[in-house]
Amino acid sequence: MAPVSRRSVLKGMGAGFGALAAAGPLFNANKAFAAREKELNILCWEGYNSAQVLDPFRSKTGATVKAESLTNDPTMINRLRAGEINTWDLINVNNPWARKVMLPEKLIKPLPKAEFEPYFDKMLPMFKPPYKWAMSDSGTELIGMAQRFGPYSFVVNTDKISRKTAEDTGWDLFNDPALAGKYGILESDDWNVFNIFIIAGIDPFKVHTPEEFAKFEETAKRVFKGAKLIGDIASMNQALISGEIDLHMTGGTYSVSPARADGHPNLRGITPLKGPLPGGKGGIAWIEITSTVNNPNLSPLALEFLKYVQAPDIAHTVAFAEGTFNPVAQMGSKACFDLFTKDELDAIQWDSLDEEMARSVEYDIVPDYDKALDLMNAAKRLRG
Amino acid sequence: MADLALAPAPGAAAESARQLRHARMLSVGARCALPVAILLGIGFLAPLVAIFGYAFATPRSFDVFTSFTLTNFATLFDPSNTVWLSFLWSCGLALLTVAILAVIAYPIAYGLNMVFGRWSALISVFFVFPLFVSENVRLYGWVLFFIKNGVLDGTLKWLGLSGGPEVLYTPGVTLFGMVYTYLPFMLFPMTLGLALVPRDLVDAARDLGAGRLFIWREIELPLAMPGILIGMLLTFVLAIGATAEAKILGGQSIIVISHDIEIAFTYSQNWPLGSALAVLVTFFIGALTLFALSKLDLDRMLGRR
Repeated sequence: MAPVSRRSVLKGMGAGFGALAAAGPLFNANKAFAAREKELNILCWEGYNSAQVLDPFRSKTGATVKAESLTNDPTMINRLRAGEINTWDLINVNNPWARKVMLPEKLIKPLPKAEFEPYFDKMLPMFKPPYKWAMSDSGTELIGMAQRFGPYSFVVNTDKISRKTAEDTGWDLFNDPALAGKYGILESDDWNVFNIFIIAGIDPFKVHTPEEFAKFEETAKRVFKGAKLIGDIASMNQALISGEIDLHMTGGTYSVSPARADGHPNLRGITPLKGPLPGGKGGIAWIEITSTVNNPNLSPLALEFLKYVQAPDIAHTVAFAEGTFNPVAQMGSKACFDLFTKDELDAIQWDSLDEEMARSVEYDIVPDYDKALDLMNAAKRLRG
Repeated sequence: MADLALAPAPGAAAESARQLRHARMLSVGARCALPVAILLGIGFLAPLVAIFGYAFATPRSFDVFTSFTLTNFATLFDPSNTVWLSFLWSCGLALLTVAILAVIAYPIAYGLNMVFGRWSALISVFFVFPLFVSENVRLYGWVLFFIKNGVLDGTLKWLGLSGGPEVLYTPGVTLFGMVYTYLPFMLFPMTLGLALVPRDLVDAARDLGAGRLFIWREIELPLAMPGILIGMLLTFVLAIGATAEAKILGGQSIIVISHDIEIAFTYSQNWPLGSALAVLVTFFIGALTLFALSKLDLDRMLGRR
């Protein structure tokens, strides 16, 4: 082996920098001019970034597929606003953002309607075309595809609080002084804003009066003070299983399904029978919409990928990708539904899915979210 | 040098040639270092400049460097803003962590230097080894230890006792987590500090009739002080920015300042406010560090009066 001298190291470094300098313009040229036929970048909630979902697509297309998962919608949308519109091809967020925010701000672009609308015919009945959240406000353009969805209110340990009691009592469980110190709060602050409003008996998805904000603040202080812990999904499930807590605010199929699949069917997502939401409803449900980013050099694989995840076997894989397990719109097709085992259906609470969705309003944007979040963050600080 | 000595004209020409070569060598070195220096400079400065720029941007916007406002700082200093609570918790927990670690790490550092002999290296490895495992994983491990029906509670119940204490999700267990996490950062500077104490000096003092406490107070402690203080400073700076302990073990029973910064950058999507908070905390820690270092006369402490 040749001895390593200072000269050889410097020579090596020089060659390295030379290579970088030479390759630099090539990278730029690649970005600016070359068609991105073998490249796809996805900004998504976890699941779509898993190897189970992406690897078959990679081997089918021979493409380099990168997916980054984040756990809240505003962060993803702000990434596009901050200039990453040139980077991403697909964005996967909750239902209202595509129609109400991203399309008006030209962050996403419409899909070829004739090509993609037929897929909605094969989905579960609630997604029959024209499906509201997949369409532009004008109702003329198709702006995204639906897949994962689920009711998302709170989770209880039915050994401690029966499903019936939880559904009947609803959000007042968190107003019950006897349960202080026995519940947790999932660290999902946009949902926590919704739920504090609901616990205060107020519809979150409207402009609020000062009196309503005063009620919100009082409720936030009390509910956060009474919480045993605030944490992520794993912490909530662990605390439920160990008996540290009996229930937790903000949760549903998405959060509790891994614990149910792991042999804890006594843990259950609950959608209250009644509440202050329009129509006297007590729950909120989310539906993910995946849209093509308004990237000036959009990868042709973006549309390919949207078609790829509609296939029954891939839709099933998406439903049971690592992390969380969820129902998918494609379960409307028999070929897809038949792939789900009894245990899998039980993990995603298929038995009560229809009635829970019927009792829920769909996730929406809180017009005065910033103010509510500031009040809630201040309330959190008073826990200590 | 031999070449130079044998050179036919060793006068001014040779001297200037040497100077020229010397100058050229320096410039080659500087040129070689330049790419790395620029890379390091950008890597170090760019994030700081961006954070600093954002701190003066319009709240809840991305108008960095195109807007200037002091609103973010005004928001933070608004008496109705409770962010000072998070700041107090962070400072208080960091100070307690430093104090507890000083007491815990000193005997271990003393042992590593004076008592454990050939076992010292192995014992050091035991303290270093946990650093190879992610901090979050280790903290989740402690959750499993302390949780109801977990390792501690379950074992005590199995032994017929009433079970373990309910310590999880409290500020106390957050402090425990911080002491656990930052132990090596106090221990090793302290061990190096104690290694600076010459054994001869201790032996001489003992021969002259000094008691144990007297030797510790007058010889060991002052001579080991640089290591001890560097350990304290390092631990404090790390602990004031700690967030995982309060989140994972403490169950967010308290909100620490770094968590507030994180919330501003994520759910609040108020990068300017988060940046202003980050700038304030950075300045506070920087000022405190400079103040501490200005009070430390390392030469005097090392005995080079």
